[in-house]
Amino acid sequence: MIVVQQLRFSVGPFALQDISLEVARGEYFVLLGPSGSGKTLLLESLCGLHRIDAGRILVEGTDVTRLEPRRRRIGYLPQDYALFPHLSVRSNVAFGLRNPLAAWLGPESRQVDELVQLVDIEPLARRKPRNLSGGEKQRVALARALAVQPLLLLLDEPVSALDEQMRDTLCRQIKGLQRRTGTTTIHVCHNFAEMLAVADRVGVIHAGRIIQTGTPQEILQRPRNRFVAQFVQAGNVLTGRAVSAGRGLRIACADGVEFRAARAGPASAGHDVSFIIRPENLRIARGEPSPDANLLPGTVGELTDRGAVVQVSVACGGLSLQALMGRKEFANLNVAPGDRVTLTIDPDDVHVLEAE
Amino acid sequence: MSGFFSSPSRAGQPVGGLSNRLFAAAMLAFVVLFVGGWLALFAADVAYTSWDAVGQVLRAKEIRAALRLSLWTSGLSVLIGLVFAIPMGYALSRYRFPGHVVVDSIVDLPILLPPLIIGLSLLVFFRTDVGQFIESSGFKFVFQKKGIILCQFLASASFGIRAVKLTFDGIDPRLEHVALTLGYGRAGAFFWVALPLASRGIVSGAILIWTKAFGIFGPLMVFVGAVRMRTEVLPTTVYLETSVGRIEVALAVTILMLVLATTALVGVRILGLGRS
Repeated sequence: MIVVQQLRFSVGPFALQDISLEVARGEYFVLLGPSGSGKTLLLESLCGLHRIDAGRILVEGTDVTRLEPRRRRIGYLPQDYALFPHLSVRSNVAFGLRNPLAAWLGPESRQVDELVQLVDIEPLARRKPRNLSGGEKQRVALARALAVQPLLLLLDEPVSALDEQMRDTLCRQIKGLQRRTGTTTIHVCHNFAEMLAVADRVGVIHAGRIIQTGTPQEILQRPRNRFVAQFVQAGNVLTGRAVSAGRGLRIACADGVEFRAARAGPASAGHDVSFIIRPENLRIARGEPSPDANLLPGTVGELTDRGAVVQVSVACGGLSLQALMGRKEFANLNVAPGDRVTLTIDPDDVHVLEAE
Repeated sequence: MSGFFSSPSRAGQPVGGLSNRLFAAAMLAFVVLFVGGWLALFAADVAYTSWDAVGQVLRAKEIRAALRLSLWTSGLSVLIGLVFAIPMGYALSRYRFPGHVVVDSIVDLPILLPPLIIGLSLLVFFRTDVGQFIESSGFKFVFQKKGIILCQFLASASFGIRAVKLTFDGIDPRLEHVALTLGYGRAGAFFWVALPLASRGIVSGAILIWTKAFGIFGPLMVFVGAVRMRTEVLPTTVYLETSVGRIEVALAVTILMLVLATTALVGVRILGLGRS
């Protein structure tokens, strides 16, 4: 298990502030955040490339905070892979085994061969890094980091430099590899789809602070605040005034549009609140809706084809809400811009956000 | 014509029009002017001297002794220069400490100062108590062969240090950081990552040190004198032959130096830089 306690580290005006984190053994943890949020700085601090100002880092119960990087048993795959340009692919993979001769002749040789096979780079073994594609470089860097059998593997945006198709493929490969080796992994990225493809658990980082941790579904359905909601593309991020709070909450928005939320969350009556309704939780109906649901009459606006789904924009009073519908469902409903429809929203799907 | 102004590698070469070719021609014109100017000087030297003078130079035991002394002292200066240039270039590139800018500037001082001052300063230093102590301890430099190496080293090492530092500046420190996470300490990362990657710059540094050390004369005159068969290196020979009016012999020695230097520089570039 990896435990980070109250980690603080500042570089100029930017600071990692009281970062606390727990990653279970064998877990694939994704650190999600926009550029400049401190993701790379945190990874570099964990592997000992920065002397942190305060806090503790424990790897499998051992306090490694003051240990040199080489003694931490933390593997690191930097964003640009940082392969050693003067060494062949095989020598790059074998680099961490310390004895270059043994890497070719001794028992380490078999270990290198296994890794080279594991990441599927056998035909490239004698090539120099400059002759590799982005995906190939990534696999070599991964094998190099795994060669030292780390207790924790840190991946800094490992697929961000690749095209979308290659990204999906490599994400699956990395995840499969992590399952096979059982290596506890922290993967940094700013891409939401990438996070969904690999994460067991997620932490959202912003301006040097971890805002929220949870499973991908928790982050997706119950973002803590407006920043997380917008970052995970919650779709409909709205503001209104809490009218009554109790077991549930009524929220009054512009032009008399009202929503009922099943849980009041941190909101109290009389105050402005932010809340989200994910587009896939909005139902567009022509018939009789459920009596318990929020019912909002509206007019269909723009339709956007998003491949597997269609995004329907519906104007309700002064609000413009986005709904996602499967293609079949959309074809059955047969709506067009200008049609009058009723939106149905389960109060459970109205999630009230914390103030930032 | 299209191949004449081509890049070293044709891959990735953009499509060029007339304006691009004119630009390349303008840039190369300066190369032609400079190299042509020097070749004209060399050609004048060759034309002025005679085969007799060249034969005399190759046969004269004083000049052969000066050649041997020039080669081994400048070679040793390169070794000592690199022993300093590599760690100093790395330290100045990677570590920041109070007074870094001042230290960095002091390293460049010998490049700026007239070489004669190095000889003069050495002479003055060896008259101080510390200098006298060194001399009396058995390490005699003044008017000795060891003094030649000391002068050559002091006059040329800065060029090597500068070249090596610039090379380390160009190597991403993150490569060494990755090595740290792969079980290496700072020294391991230096020897297995930074040093091999700097090989090209180290060869360049060695070339710069050697060219300076091989041709240095001013400080030698002051610090070790111009004693035939004892402290005479090839530049000293040129001076001595010129001072007695044997210009043809002096130029023949100059041509010998040019041939040696050109062979060495081209050879090192092909063997060292080409392979990197």
